[in-house]
Amino acid sequence: MAPAATSPPAPLLEVSNLEVQFRSRRRTVHAVNGVSFSIREGETVGLVGETGCGKSATVRAVIGLLKPPGRITEGAVRLDGTDLVDLPPRQLRQIRGASIGFVPQNPFGALNPVLRIERQFRNVIRSHRRGRPAEIRRTALAMLDAVGIADPERVLRGYAHELSGGMAQRVVIALAMVLNPRLVVADEPTTGLDLTIQRQILDLIRDLAETEGRSMLLVTHDVGVVAQYCSRVLVMYAGQVVESGPVRKVLTEPAHPYTEALLAAVPRRGERLVGAQGTVPTLLQLPPGCFYYDRCQYRSDPRCATETPALREVGPEHWAAVHYDIGADRPVSPLRAGSAPGSD
Amino acid sequence: MSRARLLLDRVRPERATTPEGPGRARQALRTLARGALSHKGLTVGFVVIVLILLTGFFAPLPHDPIQPNPESTLKSPDGTFWFGTDRFGFDVFSRVFASARLDLPIALAGTLLSIAVGIPLGLVASNKSRWSERIMRGLDMFQSFPLLVLAFAIVALTGNSLRNIIFAIALVNVPRFIRLVRSEALVLRESRFIEAATAIGASRSRVMLRHVMPNTMGIVLAQASLAAAHAIIVIAGLSFLGIGITPPDASWGVMIRVGSQNIATGQWWVSFFPGAMVFVTIVAFNMVADGVSRLIGRAED
Amino acid sequence: MRFRTGAIAKRLLFIPVAVFIVITLAFGLVNLTPGDPALVIAGDLAADEQVAEIRAELGTDKPVPQRYAAYVRELFTERSLGTSFFTKRPIWDEITQRFPDTLELVVLGLLGAVLYGSLLGTLSSYFRRRWPDSLSRLSVTVTQSIPDFFMGLLLIYVIFYVVGWAPAPVGRIGLLDRPPERVTGAVILDTLIARDWGLLRTAFHHAMLPVVTLALFYSSHFAKTTRAVLSRALNSDQVEFARACGLSELRVVGYAFREARTPVVTYIGILFAALFGGAAIVETVFAWGGLGQWAIDAMLKLDVPAIQGFILVVGLLTLLVYLLLDLIVVALDPRVSYE
Repeated sequence: MAPAATSPPAPLLEVSNLEVQFRSRRRTVHAVNGVSFSIREGETVGLVGETGCGKSATVRAVIGLLKPPGRITEGAVRLDGTDLVDLPPRQLRQIRGASIGFVPQNPFGALNPVLRIERQFRNVIRSHRRGRPAEIRRTALAMLDAVGIADPERVLRGYAHELSGGMAQRVVIALAMVLNPRLVVADEPTTGLDLTIQRQILDLIRDLAETEGRSMLLVTHDVGVVAQYCSRVLVMYAGQVVESGPVRKVLTEPAHPYTEALLAAVPRRGERLVGAQGTVPTLLQLPPGCFYYDRCQYRSDPRCATETPALREVGPEHWAAVHYDIGADRPVSPLRAGSAPGSD
Repeated sequence: MSRARLLLDRVRPERATTPEGPGRARQALRTLARGALSHKGLTVGFVVIVLILLTGFFAPLPHDPIQPNPESTLKSPDGTFWFGTDRFGFDVFSRVFASARLDLPIALAGTLLSIAVGIPLGLVASNKSRWSERIMRGLDMFQSFPLLVLAFAIVALTGNSLRNIIFAIALVNVPRFIRLVRSEALVLRESRFIEAATAIGASRSRVMLRHVMPNTMGIVLAQASLAAAHAIIVIAGLSFLGIGITPPDASWGVMIRVGSQNIATGQWWVSFFPGAMVFVTIVAFNMVADGVSRLIGRAED
Repeated sequence: MRFRTGAIAKRLLFIPVAVFIVITLAFGLVNLTPGDPALVIAGDLAADEQVAEIRAELGTDKPVPQRYAAYVRELFTERSLGTSFFTKRPIWDEITQRFPDTLELVVLGLLGAVLYGSLLGTLSSYFRRRWPDSLSRLSVTVTQSIPDFFMGLLLIYVIFYVVGWAPAPVGRIGLLDRPPERVTGAVILDTLIARDWGLLRTAFHHAMLPVVTLALFYSSHFAKTTRAVLSRALNSDQVEFARACGLSELRVVGYAFREARTPVVTYIGILFAALFGGAAIVETVFAWGGLGQWAIDAMLKLDVPAIQGFILVVGLLTLLVYLLLDLIVVALDPRVSYE
């Protein structure tokens, strides 16, 4: 748990007013529209949202790996006070891997298929510091041991395709953390893995973060994962953070109707599963009002259609981009009621 | 039929840019024609080829292309002989343009022949059977052979008549069409409109002829343009070696051959102008191929 | 253990069949094509007896099946490809004498093509849609649209006649130079063995233009392949992860390049096989005196046994290269071995 709010330590990562656009000759996709958040030392922050909500673009902007034509058009990404956005490529490269570790989605895609694992460790380590082969080997072995690989010697000698999915992801995690980064960015690290292994991998990432006091940004679309592994959560929708706050608070008393819908979509025993209605705005042309206007069950305030709500504090450390408080008159389960027959 | 058409209209294959179904061939051509105007490279390439062809046949040439002027041999370009003359006294300018009369029609005829043979063979080879596998393996081997040299050998052995040159070009280019049509047909067969046509009881050969084949036309056209460019190289190569078209007939390859004996002593113009013409023609064909594949949405980028 | 023995065995079993096909092709090309070589050799003015004589010498007076049987028998029992109609020398000797020259040209030319082409393709895919990409595509467009023999002539004019950096296109060495003692038959290698440094320089000097011609003409294949494969690889997850781990851009391109190497190696193999005949015109332009030039001469003179022998040898060589290619591709990719 984060310490009391009296004197919060300076954030390790501070993203402010980040905008990312994908521009081509014909059109511009506004992927991220003014995202601000921060991660404190030793804190694990969850980032949730549907596919295409800008999670991925936000993460790529943080690690400085937006693929063209995507680029940061506005805002800052500060790591320990240094703005990474305008950093020369060479210095940014030194930060990636050494200060920020990245755990990607698909472990098999991430490992080089034709290089031995040992070679991949050597390449990563040598990119940041000198080292003799024997010493590098010891480091790699220790790291593989730390991620729970039973026979690290054999793994080092082998290739990626000889590993199982869970093992491959462990190796990827080892590569990402071998240089002891202070911040770990994990982009849906368990997609495509067996359910039982998903848990193990997440436990492993959390343990590695906790023992070393690392900070972590955990991207997922699984609210359950956020509940179990994160202390704070950011909810993204249409390229904006629509709600952020302590996990317990956000998940039990959501202040944004989208968060509410997202929670309602989590299957629970004995309840009917209902999806959200309406459409996500295309990120080609941003709507004038609230981005969630089309799908919102509560829309009424005339400002909802004309003015994009900014994040405002709705509780201690709890922020939401809404024009008014939905907590007061919330029925037990508004979305479910709304989707009953004849509601249209 | 009309019900079938309705059904076909509704079920479209994933590849949105490919027109599909019977009777669409004409529409596809219309789309191509319309698109051609909006695509600069395609238009330019096409116009250049037509221009070369037209000037070859109809333009008034300053000198007789197959009548040498013995008193003016190896003259450098000047007011009378715009591109100079070769060592026999032939006017290079007239011959460069007159060459299009032979070179281009032969290239096009050879390409057409290889398409005519390649499409049916490709469709047959797209039937999934052990034999089609074997045919493709045989084709692999055949294609791995230095085909250019094979073409030389064939023309040399059968005698260098225009007909034999056309056959040789067709033979060299047939494998690419078999391969292309086969792979296209294999993909198309999996698409939904073909499934629909089969489902409403169209016979196999009917599906092939009316549904699969018309849909391969766009990509075949692009490939044909590349094949024509290759044919130009083959013809020029043949004539350059003295196996194909022979003097006094005008052909770019023959002209380059004649000039090759003077180039090391500085008389560049005899080889240069026909070579440049070959270059322009090949670039034009490549532009057409590029434009067509862009139009049908199959360009790399 | 690394190799999939089943697949390799299949390939090996296919070889006799393929050899048989190549033999039949070489025979069929000469004997089943319409036209009578004897008539062409004899010329228009020859008397009927002369033509009949030539027919007898070529063996074309006998029925085709009998000729085929004789051809195959001679191949396998006497291991003979026959003798040249004009020089009366064994075809095998003619071929082995010229083979090293062609091998040198093909190896050097391909090396140049691979280096230049991969460089273009790499620049192209790395700086996609920026000026290096446009420049390299321009190079591809130009080099693939100039026939190799015309490119050779242009180079002769510019580099030899105008600038004077290259020697006259008269073959492997100068007309007045004494060739090195024949050991391997390959001039450059032989000068190395003889430690004749001056002659080695001359040999390289003479090889410059033909090698550059081949390299430029075939570089477009490699440029296009590398561009296509590398563009995909540079967008792959493994490249992103490599960057996320802070690897230098050079290393990152190296990672991507490893993915591109299988198609590039395949192309090298295919072109290597094709160039033994395909370099013929360039050999002719530069009076290289290799296999290709000899074959072209044979074709012009209608030296039927020589043409037959050339096609057979080149066909078998192609088979061999393809087999090696299969093995190399398996060896290059650790994933294939365990499937």
